Amino acid sequence: MADHSSHDPLAGIPFDLVPPSGAYGAAGEASVTVSTVETPFIALVVARNGFAASVAGRLGRAFGLEIADRAGAAMGAASTVVGTGPGRFLVLSKTEPDLAGTLRALLGAEAAITEQDDAFVTFDLAGDKVPDLLAKGALIDLDPRVFLPGHAATTVIAHVGVTLWRVHESGWRLLVARSYEASFTRFLVASGAEFGLRLENGTAGRG
Amino acid sequence: MRIPCPYCGERDAHEFAYLGDATVTRPDPAAADAAQAFHDYVYLRDNPAGAHQEWWYHANGCRQWLRVARDTRTHAIAAATSARVSGEPA
Ligand SMILES: [Zn+2]
Repeated sequence: MADHSSHDPLAGIPFDLVPPSGAYGAAGEASVTVSTVETPFIALVVARNGFAASVAGRLGRAFGLEIADRAGAAMGAASTVVGTGPGRFLVLSKTEPDLAGTLRALLGAEAAITEQDDAFVTFDLAGDKVPDLLAKGALIDLDPRVFLPGHAATTVIAHVGVTLWRVHESGWRLLVARSYEASFTRFLVASGAEFGLRLENGTAGRG
Repeated sequence: MRIPCPYCGERDAHEFAYLGDATVTRPDPAAADAAQAFHDYVYLRDNPAGAHQEWWYHANGCRQWLRVARDTRTHAIAAATSARVSGEPA
């Protein structure tokens, strides 16, 4: 039995608070899980004019990944590099607390680096029904036959700016500006309730 | 209407902001006729029925300016290219 009814899974939950961890919507085993538990270190790399290819090459060699200057996600065990615009890359790391410092040392004058650790909430979505859930708010085609593992997009979902990529067959990761956490979580819960959704909240930002 | 962004791929027009005619050039503010030239540049825009070159900004995507060739009667888009040529000063 779900903790929150399928009729109105958000009943009684204030608009400005992130809905609490728990099961929402359809009873039984959850078809979609949403977790914000993992909080990777994040930095933005913007290649200076004419250095996009060089920066992609340096990032690839340093992290052991195949990186091109395009909208895609290159994923390794400890780090991920996502293209968000020409010459622009978001770097995520599980293991580098001073990620921005590491990148400055690596890229020198070829790129501008900004630390983004607390800028985004990381939503990890899992389950075969995730594309059906996201389709309720997305403007792009997330059909699993079209949007493949390693594909990435910066777009809007439910009118909220999102950078997302498909991590593997049934896993998707979404970065959303932290101030939108409550409203974007509400979208996920409301849209995922028909499938049965389990929400696992992390602790609020590193502060 | 969908705009084929060279970086992002085909995207809904709602992700973009429209600036307007991509063929006009900002006048020289130091010229003797600058007031009249700026009046023409800012206010006296053509409203063509048919082929048009326009600036579109991909605000909810790659955040790049695009030059888009659009038919104003059909919304058919013939081309969309990056406004910034690689290697040019930003
Ligand atoms: Zn774009």
